[in-house]
Amino acid sequence: MATKLPAIASLSAADVLVATEPAWLQTWRQQSLAAFAAHEMPYWRRTDLTAFAFADMQLSADLGTFKIGADAPPGVIVMPLSQAVHDNAALVQAHLGSAVSAKVSKYAALNAATWRDGWFVYVPKNLESTLPLHLIQGFGAGNTLIARNLVILERGAHLTLVEQLHGDGGPYSNVVSELILGDGATLKYTAMQTWGAAVHHVGHVVANVGNNATIEWAAINTGALHQHIEAETNLVGNGSRVDWMAATVAKDGQRLLTAPWLRHVGRSTEAHMDFKTVVKGTGYATFDGMIKIEGGSTDTITRLEEHALHLSPQARSDSIPGLKIDTNNVQKAGHASTSGEVDDEHLFYMQARGISKDEAVHMIVMGFFEPVLDRIPLESLREQVTAAIAARI
Amino acid sequence: MSSELVIKDLHASIGDKEILKGVNLTVKPGTIHAIMGPNGSGKSTLSNTIMGHPSYTVTSGEVWYKGQNILELDVDQRAKLGLFLAFQYPVSIPGVTVANFLRAAVNGHRSVEGKDPRETQIPMAQFRKDIREKMAALGVDEAFARRYLNDGFSGGEKKRIEILQMSMLKPSMAIMDETDSGLDIDALKVVSQGVNTLVQANAEMGVLVITHYQRLLNYIKPDVVSVMMEGRIVREGGPELALTLEERGYDFIREEVFGNGN
Repeated sequence: MATKLPAIASLSAADVLVATEPAWLQTWRQQSLAAFAAHEMPYWRRTDLTAFAFADMQLSADLGTFKIGADAPPGVIVMPLSQAVHDNAALVQAHLGSAVSAKVSKYAALNAATWRDGWFVYVPKNLESTLPLHLIQGFGAGNTLIARNLVILERGAHLTLVEQLHGDGGPYSNVVSELILGDGATLKYTAMQTWGAAVHHVGHVVANVGNNATIEWAAINTGALHQHIEAETNLVGNGSRVDWMAATVAKDGQRLLTAPWLRHVGRSTEAHMDFKTVVKGTGYATFDGMIKIEGGSTDTITRLEEHALHLSPQARSDSIPGLKIDTNNVQKAGHASTSGEVDDEHLFYMQARGISKDEAVHMIVMGFFEPVLDRIPLESLREQVTAAIAARI
Repeated sequence: MSSELVIKDLHASIGDKEILKGVNLTVKPGTIHAIMGPNGSGKSTLSNTIMGHPSYTVTSGEVWYKGQNILELDVDQRAKLGLFLAFQYPVSIPGVTVANFLRAAVNGHRSVEGKDPRETQIPMAQFRKDIREKMAALGVDEAFARRYLNDGFSGGEKKRIEILQMSMLKPSMAIMDETDSGLDIDALKVVSQGVNTLVQANAEMGVLVITHYQRLLNYIKPDVVSVMMEGRIVREGGPELALTLEERGYDFIREEVFGNGN
């Protein structure tokens, strides 16, 4: 085994190509590597790019750990993506990069060129799976985790999926998830970032939603030192829908940013976004969101709410919501935003009932997150996350 | 250890504005004591100050209950001492269910400093039984237990939930702050009955009923009526005083106390 690992700043084709992979994938990796070299560094507002400097990264010998929390639901195909490129080559070739292309950013291109593993999930046509599928990705001892997930729901398929990034290590992680929803499909999706406290995490998560398909998306971000997640829902199909929630807790020293993009493309699309943030100590969280209603989108309904609770005076949260409308036929577009400390009147009321101040703050924060935590489909996981959040506030 | 509530020369302000200008009042255990007064006389400031609302600053005076000057205690400590404030405008707390809130309140009352909460908490089965009984008695649908506290509740529902909390916590001294405001007559009857039931069950319980109108006092019958004006208690009498005020309004007292043209 080579003792000197390839530095990401000076990657060559020899570093990224895997001899046993199919020719089309080798070509794809080479193109992605060229895109990586050609890209400028991205302009990411509020994200400190020195925390993600390529000079500090190298490809890891250890490819990370991939676990299934419970058995895969019957009929759902779940396997490592490295295996799926052989066993389900046609599906992977058709969809890989369709939601997150190497063109998106230098970091997405890096992922495309160098990923070694991840999950492949495939739900056949009209299979209505109800049992939750819990996929966990962790670090090995390596320097950089570069992982890629591909989730495909065929027409009329249903899936409940939890993707969790969990554990110490790294410090660098770069994870891409592509979610492809066929017509009439329903995906209940929980994305959990519960990395250890030293991790620098870049994520690209994109859902392409077909006609009359629905994604219920709950993102929970409590871990990592630095987080930059580019998340995107493309309501491409007519009558497609997203119900999108997020809960973020940033504590001492953490800088957690989520940049959600919502694109209304099809006719009669509907979106509800509810993003919640709690910051404490010197924690710093950013919501950098954009809703874009494209020209062809008519009868659109879109609603964005973002709320931030500050538990200490030094804590900081930034909210940069954007809305761009290129159509004259919006049915409803709304936005609400709040930011501030725990309401004194709430505290007084609860203390007047004999509840201590600490307990009252705890209940208010957990109540604030309740609608998001309620989405976690596995009770044991919900309790675990609830306890983890409670311990942090 | 006296369970009288004794207020001595209490002065309190919001910002620079003095609202309470020397309140003296004693509420005896086992009595229902009404405070009546016109709008702006300081009634709600008094109830909030007794309970310890952070917006009000006590500039001088004392409030004694069970051997302690409660102005030195945190709000939750006052509650644990047996004080209960039924709010005029109960707040809604999204994400916290009525049942969970009540359980936290009951456990807060049962908690003992230095003791593991697991030793003092109410057993779940007993809590469920209690809340079910109390909800039935107040005509509150059981579904409310799972709803977020006061979130989307009507005025009447909020007041019933206040009384539900009171009946779960069994205070020894309850302060009803304009409980009648925004209530129709049916809700008023239910709420009053809830208070009366508690009083009957505990002969030592004191109740301070703060109200602008005599109407509530038809249902919760006071033993003593005090009149508050311009931040002071200016008259004290029996139940007949409430009826006199109903007939003659507050002006005649204002003239007697402050003189004509003042």
